[in-house]
Amino acid sequence: MRFTIFQESRVGKRRTNQDRVAYSYTRDALLLVLADGMGGHLYGEVAAQISVQFIAQSFQQEARPKVSDPVLFLSRVLSNAHHAILDYAFDKQLSDVPRTTIVACLVQEGVAHWAHAGDSRLYMIRKGKLAAQTRDHSRVQLMLDQGLLDAEAAAVHPGRNRIFSCLGGNHPPQIEFSRGVSLINGDVLAICSDGVWGPLDADTIVGTLADGRVMDAVPKLMNEAETLGGPQCDNMTLIAMTWHDDQQEDIPDTVSTRTMPADAYTTQMEGFGRSKRDQEDLSEDEIERAIREINAAIHKFK
Amino acid sequence: MATQQNCALPPGFLLDHYRVERQLSLGGFSIVYLAYDQDGTPVAIKEYLPNSLALRAEGEVTPHVTEAHQGAFRYGMKCFFEEGRALAKLVHPNVVRVLNFFRANGTVYMVMQFERGRTLHDYVQKNKGNVRERFIRGVFTRMLNGLREVHAHKLLHLDIKPSNIYLRADGTPVLLDFGAARQTLLSDTPILKPMYTPGFASPEQFNSRDALGPWSDIYSVGASMYACLAGSSPQRSDERVKHDTVVPATKAWAGQYSPHFLATIDWCLQLDPLKRPQSCFALQKVLAQRHREAPPQQKTWLEGLGSRLKTMIGRT
Ligand SMILES: Nc1ncnc2c1ncn2[C@@H]1O[C@H](COP(=O)(O)OP(=O)(O)OP(=O)(O)O)[C@@H](O)[C@H]1O
Ligand SMILES: [Mg+2]
Repeated sequence: MRFTIFQESRVGKRRTNQDRVAYSYTRDALLLVLADGMGGHLYGEVAAQISVQFIAQSFQQEARPKVSDPVLFLSRVLSNAHHAILDYAFDKQLSDVPRTTIVACLVQEGVAHWAHAGDSRLYMIRKGKLAAQTRDHSRVQLMLDQGLLDAEAAAVHPGRNRIFSCLGGNHPPQIEFSRGVSLINGDVLAICSDGVWGPLDADTIVGTLADGRVMDAVPKLMNEAETLGGPQCDNMTLIAMTWHDDQQEDIPDTVSTRTMPADAYTTQMEGFGRSKRDQEDLSEDEIERAIREINAAIHKFK
Repeated sequence: MATQQNCALPPGFLLDHYRVERQLSLGGFSIVYLAYDQDGTPVAIKEYLPNSLALRAEGEVTPHVTEAHQGAFRYGMKCFFEEGRALAKLVHPNVVRVLNFFRANGTVYMVMQFERGRTLHDYVQKNKGNVRERFIRGVFTRMLNGLREVHAHKLLHLDIKPSNIYLRADGTPVLLDFGAARQTLLSDTPILKPMYTPGFASPEQFNSRDALGPWSDIYSVGASMYACLAGSSPQRSDERVKHDTVVPATKAWAGQYSPHFLATIDWCLQLDPLKRPQSCFALQKVLAQRHREAPPQQKTWLEGLGSRLKTMIGRT
C-alpha cells in the first residue's frame, strides 16, 4: 500500500478537546477513526477516547496483516466500543452514559469500507469532485431529506447538533455502513468532526482537498474553520488520506507499507492528553509513602 | 475486548523474599500467584498489572508501559493501594488477610494469606441445581460476619458475588477482592476491563451513588444467594428497574426450599434500597433461623426501619 496521510486536532475556543482521531496501518490494511465526544453529556471526552483507543487496538490485534472480513470487523468493533463505554459508565457508576459520534474507515486490498454513527463526516473525493459522503444522523438531516429545510436554513438551525445515533448513551447505536469502494490513484478520503464541516461549505472542503496534497490542505482547512468558528469555535479535527498506486515512483512524505513485516503496525493518535483534569500523577515519594502506610496498618492490627 | 494477554512470572521466580510457585489467576487488573516465603509458608501474591496499560512479554520481568500510558498506570496504582489500605485495616476470619505490600519490577504487590479451597462460584457450577439450603444459610451467615466488619470500618465492598467469596476446605467463607475501590476513581485514560457480570450490582450502583450504603452490598448478597439456586445471576438491576423479568425465588423454587429462606432472598433483591434488610445484622438474624413456617412480618418492621433510614440517606 502507498498513501499520504495527515491528521490534526485543535481545541478551538473550548475548555477541553473532546475529539479523538487516530490512524493505524499494517503492511496490508489501513484504519482511520475519529470520534467527537458529546460535550453536553458527562465525560464525552472519555467516550471518544475509549472508542478510538478500543477500535485502534482491535485493529492492531486483528489485522495480521489484514482483517478477515472488513464489514464484519467494523460492525463488531463499533458495537464493542459502544459496550466498552457502557461498561465504563457502569464501573464508574455514572448516572449518565457518555456518548460520542464515530467514523471508522478501513482500507485493504485497495477497497475502502466505512461505518459511522452521528454527525462526524467522511468525504470521498475523486478527480476533484465529491464522490461520496456520509449522511449525518441528525434531526436536521432528516428534515433536509424530507424537504422541510434547505441547506441554508439547516446551517443555522438551532437543533443542528442534535443527533439520533451515537456510541454510548442509553440506546444502541444505529450504525450505517458504506458499500465497498475500490480506490484509484489520487482518491482522497477525509474524515472530520462538525467543528470543521460546520463553518465551512462543502465546495471549500472538496476544493481544498482536491489536489491530494493533504499536508497543506488539512492545516489550511483547519485555519479557515477556526477563523469562521469565531469566539465559539468548537473542537476541530480532520484527517485526510490520499491513495497512491503502488507502482508510482517515490513521492515525498508518502507512506509505503511494502517493506513492513506482516505482523507489525504503526499507530498515530491525536487529541490525547490535551486536558489535564484530575489526573494527578503519583510521584515516587507518594508511592513509597502509600506502601509504608499500608505496611504500618498491617502490623498495627496484627 | 481489546486486551492483550500478560505473561505471568515463571515458577521459581524470586519475588522479594517469596518464591513463585505458580499463577492462580489472571484478571484484567492483576495476576494472582501462589508463592512461598523463606519459611515455606504459602502466600497468595496479587501483582498490579492492568493489561490495557502494561504489557509483560514472554520471558520478561518488568512490564512495558508506554509513555502515553504512564499517567494512567500510576493512577491505577492508587486504586490498588486503596484495596491494600482497606484490607490492611480488616482483621477478621472471614476477610482475606493482607500480610505485606511491596514494590518490585516497576509495579506493586500485595501479599495475602493463602487460602486453600475454591470460590463459591466454582462450587455452584459443580453442584448446579443441587445446592442445599443449609449450606447456603451457613456460608452466607458467616460471610456476613466478614461483611459486617467491612461495614463497621465505614467501607463498602461493592463487588460481592460468588466468584469473590472463597470457601476454605472446611467450608468457612472468606471475602476476597476488594478491588471495587478502584471503581470510584476516574482517569483520563480509562482502564478497559474485561467482561464481568453486572448482575450482582444494586440499582443504586448504576445510577445514584448518593444512595449507596450497606443495603447495596445486601442486594449483592441476595443476588449471590439467588445465583446459588439459579446457577447464574439474576437480571441486571439497571434493566430490572425498567422491566423486571426476575421470577421471585418464592415462585421459582417453591417446594424445593423453605418459604422463609426464599422470602429472605427476595427481600434482599428489592429494587428499593429501603425495602431490603438494612444491615448485615438484620439479614444474619433471619438467615441464622431454621424455619419451616412463613417468613417474618416484613411490613411491620420495615415501616419502622424505613422512616429512620430515609433520613440517613437524605443526610449523606
Ligand atoms: N488469598 C488467596 N488465596 C487463594 N487464592 C486466591 C487468593 N486471592 C486470590 N486468589 C485466587 O485468585 C482469584 C482472583 O482473585 P481476585 O478476585 O482477588 O482478583 P481478580 O478478580 O482477578 O482481580 P481484578 O478484578 O482486580 O483483576 C480468586 O478467584 C482466587 O482463585
Ligand atoms: Mg475477583
